Amino acid sequence: MSTQSTSVVALIARRLVQLPFIVLAVYTLTFLLAWSIPGNPLENPDGRRPPAEIVEAMKKQYKLDDPVAFYFDYLGKATSISWVLGYSDQPFDLGPSLKQPDWTVNEILATGLPVSMTLGLSAMLIALTIGLTAGVIGGLNPGSPLDGFTQLLAIIGISLPSFVIGSAMLMLFAVKLGLFPVGGWGGVSYIVLPAFTLSLPFAAYISRLVRFGMIEEMSADHIRTARAKGLPRWKVALKHALKNAFLPVLSYLGPATAVALTGSFVVEKVFAVPGIGQHFVDGVLGKDITLVMGVVLVYSTLMVVFNLVVDVMYRFVDPRLG
Amino acid sequence: MGANRREQTTRCTRRKAHALLAATVHTVRLIAPILALVLALLAALSFDAPLPPADLVIVERSDCFTLDPQRMSYQHELRRARVLFEGLVNLRASDCAIIPGVAERWEVSSDGLVYTFYLRADAKWSNGEPVTSHDFAYAWRRAILPDTAADYSGLFLSIRGAKRFFEARSAQLITLAKGCDAQIAADAWSATETDFRRNVGINTPDDHTFIVSLDHPVHYFLDLCAFPCFSPVPAATVEQFVSLDPQSGRVSQRHGWTKPGAIVTNGAYVPTVWRYKRDMRLEQNPYYWNQSAVRAKSIDCRTIENANTAVLSYESGAADWLTDLGPEYKTEMLAQRRTYLERFKGDVDAGLAHGELLDEIVGALPPPRSGERRDLRGFDAFGTDFFSFNCRDAMPGGAVNVFHDKRVRRAFALAVDKQALIDRVTRLGERVASTLVPPGSITDYPIVEGLGYDSTRARAELAAAGYEDRDGDGIVENAKGEKFPTVDILYSTASPRYQNLAMAMRDMWRRELRVAAECRGKDAKLYKEDLKKGNFMIARGGWYGDYGDPTTWLDLQRTGNGNNDRGYSNPEFDAMLDAADAELDPKARLAKLAACEKWLFTEESPLLPLCNYVTVYMYDPSKVTGMTDHPRLEQDLSILTRRTQQATP
Repeated sequence: MSTQSTSVVALIARRLVQLPFIVLAVYTLTFLLAWSIPGNPLENPDGRRPPAEIVEAMKKQYKLDDPVAFYFDYLGKATSISWVLGYSDQPFDLGPSLKQPDWTVNEILATGLPVSMTLGLSAMLIALTIGLTAGVIGGLNPGSPLDGFTQLLAIIGISLPSFVIGSAMLMLFAVKLGLFPVGGWGGVSYIVLPAFTLSLPFAAYISRLVRFGMIEEMSADHIRTARAKGLPRWKVALKHALKNAFLPVLSYLGPATAVALTGSFVVEKVFAVPGIGQHFVDGVLGKDITLVMGVVLVYSTLMVVFNLVVDVMYRFVDPRLG
Repeated sequence: MGANRREQTTRCTRRKAHALLAATVHTVRLIAPILALVLALLAALSFDAPLPPADLVIVERSDCFTLDPQRMSYQHELRRARVLFEGLVNLRASDCAIIPGVAERWEVSSDGLVYTFYLRADAKWSNGEPVTSHDFAYAWRRAILPDTAADYSGLFLSIRGAKRFFEARSAQLITLAKGCDAQIAADAWSATETDFRRNVGINTPDDHTFIVSLDHPVHYFLDLCAFPCFSPVPAATVEQFVSLDPQSGRVSQRHGWTKPGAIVTNGAYVPTVWRYKRDMRLEQNPYYWNQSAVRAKSIDCRTIENANTAVLSYESGAADWLTDLGPEYKTEMLAQRRTYLERFKGDVDAGLAHGELLDEIVGALPPPRSGERRDLRGFDAFGTDFFSFNCRDAMPGGAVNVFHDKRVRRAFALAVDKQALIDRVTRLGERVASTLVPPGSITDYPIVEGLGYDSTRARAELAAAGYEDRDGDGIVENAKGEKFPTVDILYSTASPRYQNLAMAMRDMWRRELRVAAECRGKDAKLYKEDLKKGNFMIARGGWYGDYGDPTTWLDLQRTGNGNNDRGYSNPEFDAMLDAADAELDPKARLAKLAACEKWLFTEESPLLPLCNYVTVYMYDPSKVTGMTDHPRLEQDLSILTRRTQQATP
């Protein structure tokens, strides 16, 4: 037990040391990409053009005329180094949004991140529920019509794009049946459709992982022993086989949750969910560099942390890794 | 024996209890993280409870970029600003007439140069403080200062001394940027303040008198005063968010003051909730002087960017008005409205003959049958869709620019069958345009006709410019045998409309004029770069008017105008506009401007107007009233309202 906790502490320490380097690499790469987007973010695509002096002055104010200055200035403010040294009056200052002058990136993240988190986590819960159920059913009766049916559903879930499923669900459940509101956020009823849509590919993948795991496990020696002891089949399946069949799902959960949180922009667009994914895509399209950099910094940090959490959990569930 | 058995039983029970405990712990350990997740989700949701229902719900396709009236430039922002910040005067939505706002009356000097506004005593900010002339002076100074970077600062430059002040401060900022500290910045700012007070024609003799002196008569100055960028801002509040940047010497503004809680308005409403790209709640301003004219007590403005979802949201009954119907299938939806109106043609015609409003007539008709609709309407907007000709002397690389020749421009304008484009490409039943100013949008301005579709004359114009098919290969050449260069048609890929238009026109030009032509689609930002550099021969354009005067359109062709993408420059045209500006009689001035526009679009043809834009709203006239169909489409949110239950048949 003590060696296990030591190794977990070492793992956490190692990851935390790696964190700044990973984030710096991501920051630099994102900066290069974002800077190379053509156009001036301060200009409105269809708006009136301010006099040339104003355009130049604004570019200067936001350091958009000097990539090196921008890179270090933003890095200093975002990491709070400027704040510690007294150059900036706010820690973790991700700057003002270039496109939305009334909002700072911190404010945008503060409004959007909880929404995306709630949506992503709800989707993962639904995905786990559906995926595990379908996987166990299929895995216990491989080749049966029921298995074929769940596998077909899984293929549909993986292959149909979410904007198609999303629009179809909106038409059916929101407009025709009036069960859920269309678009927006606030309250459980707003979450059901987008979370379900977002969960489908994950549910499909989980069900396939579990199905394969179950088929393999059910023919293993210890399962045969358990069956020989006279334990009922469902008990063997749920108590002994699922425990091992679940391991690949657990390692998939880390990156999947990260994808659910960051990759939900299509679902966010279709359901008008005011989450970070949507804001991020708008930021990229509008060359809102500060917004893009801020979101990427926060997300890359979150991603490292999620992976760490999953790895730690893994060590507790699977003693072989202890 | 008995004791032994009892011991055995106890041990057995204990073992069972242990097993049970272990199982429970095991289960709890498995379920705990999921339970924690569920609880966290529920907690997150309870913090995010829906708002109580509003009196009116509006769905917009985009959130406001800013609520700072001096910095905004998008239509939906300006619409919202009109009910948040009241200017000196207001535009009446139904006919765009000027009506009193914060100023209860005003006087104009006989030379048209001095405007004296008398502010009403009961005009108040939403914190109960009075609205004074100083708030206006403060807001206008903000708009003019280059530090603020207001897109519309140009509209203020006809105020006496404003142009010089703007240029002086700009020059000062450039000097300051080279080397500055807190003291230098403060000194420069104090000099700027003094300069403004002494030399710019904005005077505030007392709290309720506001005097503006102009450089030259501006006939539409009152119309400008109704434009949101001329609205006051609460000086005391905004000042808390302003600071002097010691490095650049600029007045830098933080925008926290536009957030609910901090924002103070003087219009019909105050924003009480604003969630980024989600929604904004407007509640009636308890201190607004004209509260009796305000209909909805609260308005919910939701943002749904996805065009299809916005329609579904309306269809689900959640919204009263969808301000921009986006999806391509709107053509089919509009056809369903036409079918409906066709069925009641008699009633509609009779009502219109009696001078009733179309919405009132349609709202009182029996409900639509299947395959019919009345819950959407296309309006001719105060905007014109066009393609620009590159009028510069030469192409960016120094190559010859054939479109510098106005005969070539006229030939290309004459060769386009606009009605065919509307019927087969844009398909919204737009009105063909041959000039820029939409007909009927400006009181007393006549309808001006430019060049129509005339392929014979088009070929003659091209021949006059020296291009004919001399060798019979199907492509025109000049006398030297040089082929007409391949026409480069630039469009932005932001919407399929422009790709389709560009391709259809390319084919028309190939067929009618026998020229080679290619379309070049670019992402919106790259398109804009090319447009500014003049890297095109013909490019997609378009313009919406800002104020009720033809100059909001005609000034676009002035030499050096910031939005003159065509690089068109003709001293003769500039002189004609100046001459019209110098005319004091309003009718005579409009006649001169009309002559100017006529000459521009029959002789010079710097751009090719196609049609007036059509804006499609979704709302049901039997449920919502207060929408105006005046060509400027200045909808007033404070007079929109749901019909009461009793009024619905």
